[in-house]
Amino acid sequence: MSSELSILLIDEDLDRASEVVSALEKSRYKIRHMAQPNATLLKEVDAWQPDIIVIDIESPTRDMLESLNMISAYNPKPVVMFSDAEDEDLINESVKSGVSAYVVGDTDTSRLRPILDAAVARFNEYQSLKEELTQTKNELEARKLIDQAKRLLMETKGLSEQEAFSSMRKTAMDSGQKLEDVAKTIISIMKNMNF
Amino acid sequence: MRSTQKQELKLGFVALTDSAPLIVAKEYGFFEEQGLDVTLQKQNSWATLRDKLHAGVLDAAQMLAPMPLASGLGLGCRPCEVIAPFVLSLNGNAITISEGLYQEILAVSGLSELPLPLSAKLLLPVIAQRKEAGLSKLKFADVFPYSCHHYQLLDWLSDGGVELDDVDLLTVPPVNMVDFLESGEIDAFCVGGPWNAKAVRSEIGLTALTSFDIWENQPEKVLGVTKKFASDNPNLVRSLCTALAQACSYLEKTPNRFEAARLMSRANYLDAPIEVIAPSLIGSCLTHRFLPPRVVPSYNQFSDAAVDINKPTREQGIWLVNKMLKANQITDREAAYAVVDKVFTDSYL
Repeated sequence: MSSELSILLIDEDLDRASEVVSALEKSRYKIRHMAQPNATLLKEVDAWQPDIIVIDIESPTRDMLESLNMISAYNPKPVVMFSDAEDEDLINESVKSGVSAYVVGDTDTSRLRPILDAAVARFNEYQSLKEELTQTKNELEARKLIDQAKRLLMETKGLSEQEAFSSMRKTAMDSGQKLEDVAKTIISIMKNMNF
Repeated sequence: MRSTQKQELKLGFVALTDSAPLIVAKEYGFFEEQGLDVTLQKQNSWATLRDKLHAGVLDAAQMLAPMPLASGLGLGCRPCEVIAPFVLSLNGNAITISEGLYQEILAVSGLSELPLPLSAKLLLPVIAQRKEAGLSKLKFADVFPYSCHHYQLLDWLSDGGVELDDVDLLTVPPVNMVDFLESGEIDAFCVGGPWNAKAVRSEIGLTALTSFDIWENQPEKVLGVTKKFASDNPNLVRSLCTALAQACSYLEKTPNRFEAARLMSRANYLDAPIEVIAPSLIGSCLTHRFLPPRVVPSYNQFSDAAVDINKPTREQGIWLVNKMLKANQITDREAAYAVVDKVFTDSYL
């Protein structure tokens, strides 16, 4: 947790912004403040790649960040939002699982550092969970393809299951392809030949 | 109404011309007649309005028609079942281009005036010339990824044969649109009222066409409530729909719409002069400082004596899902169609 992290703070409230900046002095957070977001915000986010974006939940600019979900599909950012203390818990309850947002009452900047730590940790956890899920899904998908190709070979060539699998593995090794790619090719050829 | 149900309601809205039904229902006592004590809470972004609705900080909200579908599908948020029991309005958006782009189209095309509603075909020579000169791509803004604005802009561009790779699309909050158009940070936007009229009155652009010219009479804003809230408070949701239906039929007559524009100009609502709110409400599309307004009777449509336009239908939901598919926001057609049946329900009317 010691590596330096960069924060993009989008806040029209200059007093609060300077409070946040001083609260994070001598911490691992490097902060950049933007008071008046402009149309190039998304490009800047893309170029600067902040580790966290901090914004007021009542800022109209939230909708600009919403399109980040679509643009940076491969590189999402955690977003931490200031909010009225009374709504904090309620909104947190709603946004906490699944999305990258995290809500914090706006008055107490001394709480900010642990909250940012927690947000980053949870976000990373969530991202790796998501990656794991995608990987599992891909593996399942690959196994399905390989089984299908195997069955086709068994039916059309009269091979045993072991023979079909060995022949696919050999093709994969000889041609330097993944087993699932060989399976895909077999399926598409067999289908085209109306087997 | 049973006494166990709470009568106080927090209703979120965004300060736009088509929030008229909510403001009219509040100001003319239609909510009160239904035994509802409604507080209208102005929201600055659609994302926050959505999060507050999901969390129950808001009981109900004016939403962009695709938003309840996006909520159900978990697009940009944690999945949450939101229903749309009432269609608040049809049409209401427009595409405005900057004065600079307007002049550029005139110069490149050699035309002395542009035929309105404008076809995006006329952008093609501008795009080609910019490419050749190594200039930046044209930048188009809309208000939210899951908005009719976004899909209307995409449809208008593709109808004109504009390749999406040849333009930049971005999301900009409505309050910033006019400033960004003036500063040249964007070349055109698709937004609801009063922002198109504001751009024309500020003499910085040309309103090229309205959303009615792109999609004739599709839902624009809907009432959104979580399925949980509706199941717990079915009579409240029914009363809410009844009051809003009254407001929408009040808004059918043009003189009433002018009165609505007066109410809406107040600081707690749109906080804008009547000269930018009233035109679209009375069927006038301001175009340009040197050009006459266009007559677009359905520019903002809240009700229709002949057809019940406030009743949500499966067809409307399917229409929107098809636009989401076309925009590559979703890929699973079956799953999305299944959500439509849950979202667009007329069982509270």
